[in-house]
Amino acid sequence: MRDFLPRPAIAPAVVWAFPAPQRAQLSNGIELMTFDLPGQHVISAHLVLDLPLNAEPRDIEGVATICARTLDEGTLHHNGEEFAELLETEGAGFGVDLSLSGAQIILDVPASHLDRALHLFAEAVTEPSLAERDINRHVQLRLAEIEQAQANPAQAASIAFRAAVFEQSKRAARMNGGEPETVGQVTPEAVSAFHRDHFGPAGATLILAGDLIDNPIAVAEGSLGSWHNDDQRRVMIEDPTPAARRAVLIDRPGAVQADLRLGGFGIDRLDPRWSEISVASYAMGGAFLSRLNAVLREEKGYTYGVRMNFGPLRRGGSFAIQGSFRTEVIVDALAITQELIKVDNVPFTSQEVSDAVAFFTGVSPLRYATAEGVADQAATQILAGLPDDYVDRSLALLRSVTPEAATEAYRSIVDPAELTLVVAGDAERLADPIRALGFPDLEVRPAASLQQG
Amino acid sequence: MWGMTSGALTRLGYPIVEHTLENGLRVISSPDHIAPSVAVNIWYDVGSRDEEQGRTGFAHLFEHVMFQGSAHVASGQHIALLQAAGAVVNATTWFDRTNYFETLPTGGLDLALWLEADRMATLLDALTQENLDNQREVVKEEKRQRYDNVPYGDVMELLNTLTFPPDHPYGHTTIGSMEDLDAATLEDVHGFFRRHYVPNNAVLSIVGDVEPEDAFERAEIYFGHLEPGTKAPKPEAGPMEALSGMPRTEASDKVPAEAVYFSWRLPARGGGVFDALDLAFSILGHGQTSRLYKQLVRGTEHAEGTSASTMGLIGGTSFGFSYARARDGISPEQLEEEMAELIAQLLSEGPTDEELRRAKAQFERHWLHELARIDSRADALGEYATLHGDPRLINSRIAEIAAVDNDDVRRAMQEWLRPDQRATLIYRQEAS
Repeated sequence: MRDFLPRPAIAPAVVWAFPAPQRAQLSNGIELMTFDLPGQHVISAHLVLDLPLNAEPRDIEGVATICARTLDEGTLHHNGEEFAELLETEGAGFGVDLSLSGAQIILDVPASHLDRALHLFAEAVTEPSLAERDINRHVQLRLAEIEQAQANPAQAASIAFRAAVFEQSKRAARMNGGEPETVGQVTPEAVSAFHRDHFGPAGATLILAGDLIDNPIAVAEGSLGSWHNDDQRRVMIEDPTPAARRAVLIDRPGAVQADLRLGGFGIDRLDPRWSEISVASYAMGGAFLSRLNAVLREEKGYTYGVRMNFGPLRRGGSFAIQGSFRTEVIVDALAITQELIKVDNVPFTSQEVSDAVAFFTGVSPLRYATAEGVADQAATQILAGLPDDYVDRSLALLRSVTPEAATEAYRSIVDPAELTLVVAGDAERLADPIRALGFPDLEVRPAASLQQG
Repeated sequence: MWGMTSGALTRLGYPIVEHTLENGLRVISSPDHIAPSVAVNIWYDVGSRDEEQGRTGFAHLFEHVMFQGSAHVASGQHIALLQAAGAVVNATTWFDRTNYFETLPTGGLDLALWLEADRMATLLDALTQENLDNQREVVKEEKRQRYDNVPYGDVMELLNTLTFPPDHPYGHTTIGSMEDLDAATLEDVHGFFRRHYVPNNAVLSIVGDVEPEDAFERAEIYFGHLEPGTKAPKPEAGPMEALSGMPRTEASDKVPAEAVYFSWRLPARGGGVFDALDLAFSILGHGQTSRLYKQLVRGTEHAEGTSASTMGLIGGTSFGFSYARARDGISPEQLEEEMAELIAQLLSEGPTDEELRRAKAQFERHWLHELARIDSRADALGEYATLHGDPRLINSRIAEIAAVDNDDVRRAMQEWLRPDQRATLIYRQEAS
């Protein structure tokens, strides 16, 4: 038999800080942020453009996505296949990320290839061919991608949830990549015009993170410093507003599971309650033994996992409790959830708060120990309008959260009686029992993928 | 500095020190002080290939039971205690392995080791029918969520069945079947634990802000007095011949697009032939300059997506796959023909020098990415120690891949990817 050793105590954490960037400006005004991280052999380069998605004309939403996806399909100097081949020969990966707050064009490349790869990257961003055939293909591929998303119950539920939670005139209510009706209207002329009007150095930031063996300022200046666009127009970001609460059931006849989204309009990181709601939502649905997961997974075995997520935008945001439950138990799971999310009589405890603070504090050094992690966070901060030392500041604020403040912030944002509900599941079996749970106005809709062909 | 970048190749030199405890537990240490964090990772040399007939999915169900408490840890507390120490915690099960891992601030290292040791020593003390039943339901929900309720969710199972005989260790998926999950008993858990969850069947990797002597000392404190067990023999499965007879099957469901899948038997991972085939699959179907993408997505525009990749396995035989999803109006049979032709062409011509260089460059970036994080580096160390007997191989992978030449790729393809050596799955849209 082994000896019994008592459970070890945790030694206090070492003081840690998010790396501070070096800042410089390229001759055309692009802001350069560099993070030298020795030992990180893959450089992560993010070009962050001040290009909120509400810059897209309403009738051709998706044009930004099509434009971004066609950037690496060839440039004025290298035709389509040649361009991609050159980039891949450098061992580089090229990607785009379009969010409501702005666009990111992303390059990952081994450190020794940075200079050559960044020149190619700059070509794609500044002088893409945007050929008609490539645009038309990417429109078709985007339409196919939407069909795939609608056929996936979790994605279909998330798409329906954003449409229900944000006021419908706002860009936030619709998919970042555009909906079928508008993507189908995107033409090669519209994409070229969008690139001309909105891709430019003004308001742009280039982030370089990793083992920067070459002089990063010279490399950045040499690739992007001469980019000019006199036609560039910058557009103010639109603030989303909440829609009236509603309840929607997307019918998936015969589905063995139902996907749940229950939530509402949220807050952003600049809201004074952000640290408090972060703690509260971790206790409610972030930790493994959160209030929701402890009961619905570990006690009842109803789900592989249930979470509560807050998704901040630059201003405002959304939150949702989300999970998949087998059809037989989803109604019971929803009823239990409706009770668990009330905190009036069971405020958050000091143990819950200290566990949340320890978790967020503990995972930070690891999360930001790679080039990719640092560059992602730096880009997020730029897009959200946050300072360079945001991570350190927010951890300090977290440590000062009290149980009372966490409970109060939660109650001010999460009103259990006023939540928007989306379920993707078998309507025949679920619609009436869900109505009986306080959703008499439940709308049943056919799944989008079944409406077509 | 752990890497020298010279010319086109990054030469890696992560420090790797190995020490075996008296009970057979292999401990690997790789110090890295970039952050005040440490990754703890245990590979148990057991996966779905070790399951018995009628118990498919059991290795994975067992993985869930490992979080249900042990003699000194209450159910669910393993993760709860670690998260409250600032840890990211999880576990996965695959054909050849089950791995358990947590990454956390260095001050929690003792707690992590104590928790891992407690369940390695005393899991059965806390096992109850209620816990087993609960996790059985959770796993069934996982199966529904990831396989049964999503488009194309049964492809892996269909390809497994096409590629291997039903009684072969790789003839069933890791998630298993609902019936077999239902049949699992407490006695099964006891037997599986005794056969596979012994210190001499595990590799413990400790990577991050801790020096090797310190890591080994702590491993000794928490694991040193565990008794070794009798390791279960590995399932008998020698290398299989390539497929013959062109097996073929069809499926239909409410999917947005029709598709065609090919699968192949390949040699086991670890060796130049497998590496050559891995590059061949990359040239065929990885990225937008791959032959499938260039021809079917960009060229004829008959496909909305294409891919090809290997799944390296250690038990004699690996898998290779490719697929193409059809654009509207294109039949899967037409895509099948076009995909087959592209593969035959690559097989007869061999890759161009440029293609091979690109595939190697992409491998290099992927591998550097994999090792950039202490948690995935710890996992790679466990993987190479468990499957290939030597964790130091992670430092030489880029050079090994670089050594593969054009003829190697062509020869490997001519041996393993001839047209009559593949299986085919046609996935159709169900008429509504």
